Amino acid sequence: MTGGPELELSALAPVAFTAIGAMLVLLGEVLLSRAKSFLGRPITDAYLTTLLGFFSIFWLILTAVTAGQGLVTGSSEVFNLGHPMMRVDTFANFAILMIAIGGILTCALSVTYLTVLHVSHGEYFALLLLATCGMILMVSSVDLMSLFLGLELMSIPIYALAGFARRDLRSNESALKYFITGSFASALLLYGMALVYGTTGHTSFEGIRGAFDVQGPVGLAGLALLLVGFAFKISAVPFHQWTPDVYEGAPTSVTGYMSVAVKATAFAALIRILLEAFPEVQGRIEPVLFALATLTVVVGNVMAVVQEDVKRLLAYSSVAHAGYLLIGLVAGTPEAIAGVLFYLLVYTFMNLGAFGVVASLAQQGRDCERIEDFAGLARQRPAVASLMTLFLVSLAGIPGTAGFVAKFLVFAPAVQEGEVLLAVIGVLASVVSVYYYLRIPVVMWMRDPAPESVRPEPSGSEWLVLTLCATAVLVLGIFPNLEVLEGQPLLDLARRSAALLFG
Amino acid sequence: MDLAHQAVLLSGVLFAIGTVGALVRRNIIVILMSIELMLNAVNLAFVAFSRIWAHVDGQIFVLMVIVVAAAEVAVGLGIVIALFRNRESINVEDASLLKW
Repeated sequence: MTGGPELELSALAPVAFTAIGAMLVLLGEVLLSRAKSFLGRPITDAYLTTLLGFFSIFWLILTAVTAGQGLVTGSSEVFNLGHPMMRVDTFANFAILMIAIGGILTCALSVTYLTVLHVSHGEYFALLLLATCGMILMVSSVDLMSLFLGLELMSIPIYALAGFARRDLRSNESALKYFITGSFASALLLYGMALVYGTTGHTSFEGIRGAFDVQGPVGLAGLALLLVGFAFKISAVPFHQWTPDVYEGAPTSVTGYMSVAVKATAFAALIRILLEAFPEVQGRIEPVLFALATLTVVVGNVMAVVQEDVKRLLAYSSVAHAGYLLIGLVAGTPEAIAGVLFYLLVYTFMNLGAFGVVASLAQQGRDCERIEDFAGLARQRPAVASLMTLFLVSLAGIPGTAGFVAKFLVFAPAVQEGEVLLAVIGVLASVVSVYYYLRIPVVMWMRDPAPESVRPEPSGSEWLVLTLCATAVLVLGIFPNLEVLEGQPLLDLARRSAALLFG
Repeated sequence: MDLAHQAVLLSGVLFAIGTVGALVRRNIIVILMSIELMLNAVNLAFVAFSRIWAHVDGQIFVLMVIVVAAAEVAVGLGIVIALFRNRESINVEDASLLKW
């Protein structure tokens, strides 16, 4: 290396926006809670939460716009510290866009939900922005060090968010379980990194690719530990046991964010590290990924069938979706990876939509969570019931919705690659999933409401989130080639992002 | 076998002890300590590998792990305190509201 490191700070823009936003939210909370009034209105808990929530959305929109611009122009910026640490290229920008959209929707959803749950504290948004910052760092890192830093910067705030309703025992328990399994998984992943570093002498993906010995047992053990760490984060079976407990106990808005953004991040980072650092090992780990994908699809869907709690059902459904995504990883072609990216984007909208409905039905500090609690919703709030039905139908992958297109884009390349068995398992499992997803609409539309049950009217920001998600689900489902970003369909952008990694 | 390779072996042993501890113990504080032990085994491995390769990358990594582990433990203890206030127990088997 000659001439010293070149600092290209523009690569840091998305990380900086979220980090600065988080600091300002903390500062803003302290200053505002001491003031009597702001903009002519007295400061109440609900008002403060709304202000800080929309302030966070502003920073996340900045992040999303930056990522969107980078995506359209196809820019690739490197943050160098001796050797490349982060590379914000088309792939990273696509992932950042997904994460930022997830963050924006979650913030808008949380504004009302936190007040209903009686936990309106501004730190919530600071933690959310910091987690987003970690996710951005993780998807754009091209070095084990920045990858680890991003992983922890993502996980630690989310441990705290899971326990955010701190007087609620179930939230406490959820945070504890997530913390213990999460930090255990990080430790395994870290030891994997140490072994990979020990056998190759490099921490950068590029260096590892050049020096990794496909036959060496120590290096392969390191790779195996890395995979286990990632399997925990994407909740692949048999490393999924924490998922239902944590999803059930955590505040619903946090659960929604965890299920979309953490999953998208972990998948994007996993794809990147496998393709950029370990391209030679593809053949050796394919059986492992195959087993993980099969188990995850089958166990996720079968366990979801017997659930009575909506959040738990959606948790097992998120395990099942991780399995579908793993099928794309097994196929491993550029087309399949593009499918996975598109799937993650679609999943962000449909899953946050479903969790959004659950959150909007919460009242007087408790969630609407049993499936029976949904009885007669169509009678009382037909619009909400229709949206929920749309999201569930899309999650089940019924044609006409984005969920179908996404599943098709993942399964078709798998069949082309000769993974027919896996695709058949995926399709059969999706058929099973129709049963448990449609249980909720059946209860909503065909049963009478419990006497004296009152349904809260969703607030303005909740309506905004639900309609946005529903529009995205329908538009991406019917016109997947619609040119959304300056004349470029999202699907093409996903293809270009994926092709980059194989380049 | 030189010192660096012995240190790598020791780190493997420490990591195994930490893993077993985290899996079998029932007291949350002991589990936290076991996870710390795992992280410190990682640190030892990084330092030893860094010595074998004769460059500093591994040692820089260790500094980052130490900082992150401190942050992690702070949040972890915060969660344990929140749980203890509500339940007066630090046994993981009592945390059983959420299952199946």
